[in-house]
Amino acid sequence: MEWLTPLTALYAAAATLPLLLLLYFLKLKRREQIISSTLLWKRAIQDLQVNAPFQKLRRNILLLLQLLMLLAILLALAGPILSLTTGPSRRFVLLIDRSASMSANDIEPTRLDAAKKQAGTFVESLRGKTFFSLKDESDQVMIIAFDDHAKVMCNFTSDKHQLHSTIEAITAGDGGSTLAEAIVVARAFAQSPGTEANNRSAETPAQLILFSDGRIRDVEQIAVGTGELIFNCIGKSQQNIAITAMQARRSYEDPDEISVFATIANYDTEETTCDVQLSINDNVQAIKAVTIPPQKTSDTGVAAQPGKVSIDFSLSHVDPGVLEVRQLQPDALACDDAAWAILSPPRKLTVLLVTAGNVVLESALKACPLAGLELCSPDEFEVMDFGTISVEQPYDVIVLDNHIPAQLPKCRYLVFGHPPEGIDVLVPEQLENQVIVDWRPRHPVLKYVNLMNLFAAKCFKITLPRDAETLAEFGQSPALALVRRKGSIFLLAGFDILQTNWPFEPSFILFCYNATAFLGTQAGQNQETNLQVGQPIIVEGLAPETPAEVSGPGFSGNEIKANAAGTIRFPGIDKVGVYGLKVPEQPLRLFAVNLLDSQESNIEPMREIILSGQAIQAQDNPISRSNLPLWPFLVGIALILALLEWLIYNSKVRI
Amino acid sequence: MNRIKTATHRRRLTELLDPDFMSRLDSLDLLSRKILKSKLQGERRSKRRGQSVEFADHRPYVAGDDLRFVDWNIYGRLEQLFLKLFLEEQDLTIHIVIDISASLSLGEPAKELFIKKLAAALGYVSLVNNNRLTISSFSEGVKGQLKNMRGRNYIGAMAEFLLTSDCEGPSHFDSSCRQLVAGRTGSGIMIVLSDFLFKEGLDTGLRRLISRQYDLYVIQVLSPEELAPEITGDLKLVDIEDDDTAEITISGALLKYYKRNITAYCNELKEFCARRGAAYVLANSADSVESLTLNYLRRIRLLR
Repeated sequence: MEWLTPLTALYAAAATLPLLLLLYFLKLKRREQIISSTLLWKRAIQDLQVNAPFQKLRRNILLLLQLLMLLAILLALAGPILSLTTGPSRRFVLLIDRSASMSANDIEPTRLDAAKKQAGTFVESLRGKTFFSLKDESDQVMIIAFDDHAKVMCNFTSDKHQLHSTIEAITAGDGGSTLAEAIVVARAFAQSPGTEANNRSAETPAQLILFSDGRIRDVEQIAVGTGELIFNCIGKSQQNIAITAMQARRSYEDPDEISVFATIANYDTEETTCDVQLSINDNVQAIKAVTIPPQKTSDTGVAAQPGKVSIDFSLSHVDPGVLEVRQLQPDALACDDAAWAILSPPRKLTVLLVTAGNVVLESALKACPLAGLELCSPDEFEVMDFGTISVEQPYDVIVLDNHIPAQLPKCRYLVFGHPPEGIDVLVPEQLENQVIVDWRPRHPVLKYVNLMNLFAAKCFKITLPRDAETLAEFGQSPALALVRRKGSIFLLAGFDILQTNWPFEPSFILFCYNATAFLGTQAGQNQETNLQVGQPIIVEGLAPETPAEVSGPGFSGNEIKANAAGTIRFPGIDKVGVYGLKVPEQPLRLFAVNLLDSQESNIEPMREIILSGQAIQAQDNPISRSNLPLWPFLVGIALILALLEWLIYNSKVRI
Repeated sequence: MNRIKTATHRRRLTELLDPDFMSRLDSLDLLSRKILKSKLQGERRSKRRGQSVEFADHRPYVAGDDLRFVDWNIYGRLEQLFLKLFLEEQDLTIHIVIDISASLSLGEPAKELFIKKLAAALGYVSLVNNNRLTISSFSEGVKGQLKNMRGRNYIGAMAEFLLTSDCEGPSHFDSSCRQLVAGRTGSGIMIVLSDFLFKEGLDTGLRRLISRQYDLYVIQVLSPEELAPEITGDLKLVDIEDDDTAEITISGALLKYYKRNITAYCNELKEFCARRGAAYVLANSADSVESLTLNYLRRIRLLR
């Protein structure tokens, strides 16, 4: 027997009991009636008193009944619970899946709500702190919500009220589901005594209880003891149509032309036809009907592949905008019905070449598709207003050819020769006769660039800071490196171009093209705008402590501040949609956050999850209470007492 | 002139009695269970020998007897003087006493109306039969009295007396009886109409009224509410006469005891009357005066 809300009942008792007694002892207001003579009535009253020895008691029996009734109601208010479980107290960790697939509405209202409800029932059935007992046999529960990351919602506690509010506070996310982190966290917490477990250490491992649809990505990385994990499977339908891939690209030849590619997947076992709608800035541009084949069930039944259809749109759009691809068929999961891409305006670069005179470089840059190429001598560069360059960014890329400027305005630099000072790059010595031994052909800068034949007669040995990226290496020194410092990006080539055979290689032109294009995309708007759920929004190159406002689906105006390095990092993305980041006096930066996760879109519930080869079956029945709330009985007793009182009252006044 | 006045008065009486009823009352007369003495010659037999047409006895003549009553036929046969004795016929004195204390004004229908109707009916019968009628009303003492009415001419006066006496004030039965007895002369019938719910003085008062000269009829009139109350709830009962209060919560037991009490009270009164040769009648104010008069009172031989 335990009490859920004993204090409430005590307060109510303190308020109501004296009130009832007061009411009873207040003088009854009697109706006056004039009669001929009180003679006979007085005699009758006397007779009544004389002939009824228990008159006092009978007068008070109504009060007694009322008191009993009130007592029953008060006890009901205290929430007594008859616990049917016995034994020592246990510890549980509730792992609640809040990934995208748990937002499916095949169970009303959503799977997550069903999971929360089950978790609530589970919490209800725990043994709480007994109010009037010395022995503490309360069960303790910890709650972890997980999608791609685990989040400890509440440490071990037996406070059911707190647990309930914690469960209520879990919101659906649009991320994937990885359980390993959650289990690691749960075990870590389970080993330390909980907040209330005075000196009780975790002599028994905590029981893990998982509420999920079974679509967990990293089952191979998890190993649990026998009986350590109890799995409650939530979900029943697998009917879902998802956009699992989407990309929008401007054509190289004609930047006004946009090609949009999307893959639509059908997870149902039947063929489906749905409309796919393309819109820019919420203006519908095109609708296509596609027929998607059903899910392919392989013989093993495990690796079922969804039916997929690719679809492409091409359209002409010059301005920037938000491009949305949406499938219009209603299905169980809503967050994968649409995907967004941010269209940047077609843009050409303006490049400043600072050189004392370098025909090779100049002609190579001229060959690149640039909006403008400006030339200036090192002396002219030194007298430029660096403040203006930092703030207004008139140049997308500055190419430094054998020049070490005294100051470095914030920009993107392609540096040939000695690296600039103040960016933590050291030049201990000069080297001779170096050849390239390795390079990263996958990096955008070195795409299609073959450095096999590059030979440098003289070069600088450079020592890079730890966070620099090395793109190509000579035998004794990095040849090409990417360094980010003070909001600027430096692409360093540690040699004078004229001391190498590079100008005679076709890869040099390609390198120039790639380097300016890459540095150009690193500028302002052209950073990564298409994110997946869980990836942070990162904006670099701002003044330190710059305030900004983030808005997104379901919220707006979240204040955020750049750190000392001028970087804004907004980690709180767990919903798909279009996010905007507004820095004062700068155009709004848009970010598209998409699910685009073929596995998460597969919402078919798994009745069995295999953790490192160990199969764990889902519980057959949803969690039910293992204890008995007593309040309905008490209310029943109160009702019976009320009835009894009515009967007695009636029999007393019956004529 | 006189006739017109009578007519208006008779109209007043019709406020209490309806003409149909009155015409049925015409054939009735009041009876006394005792043959009583009276002063005036009337229509009733008396114990006294006197002047009438009804023969009673003979007695020998003694000097000084009225020669008119000598039975000359016997003298012719026996040559002795005998005197014929006749039963004297006397008039009957009817004394109707009504209670007009405040308690009578209660009841549904009101006891007051019932009592006045009954008094009017009895009074009417008496007047019609040339009896001597006295009507008194009392509450804390005797409030009004119409004495020695005789004949139909007094019907109007009686009606007016009944209709103009309002029920108010407390009742003092004992002192009222003392006054009544003091003002009473001769013999006759005394009819007391009241609810007899007196807190004190009932026994002593009635004892005063009972005498050899007067044939006493006690008519207790109670309202249905008093006989079988139909009230519920928590009540504060207020006595209309002395503002005494009784706080009660109506319950089955209380009502049971009340009924037992009122029955006992009435029976006690009845027994008291029976032991002392008085007649007791219990009337419910909801009953009709007509049936009471025409049936019950005839059965107990108050009316003939």
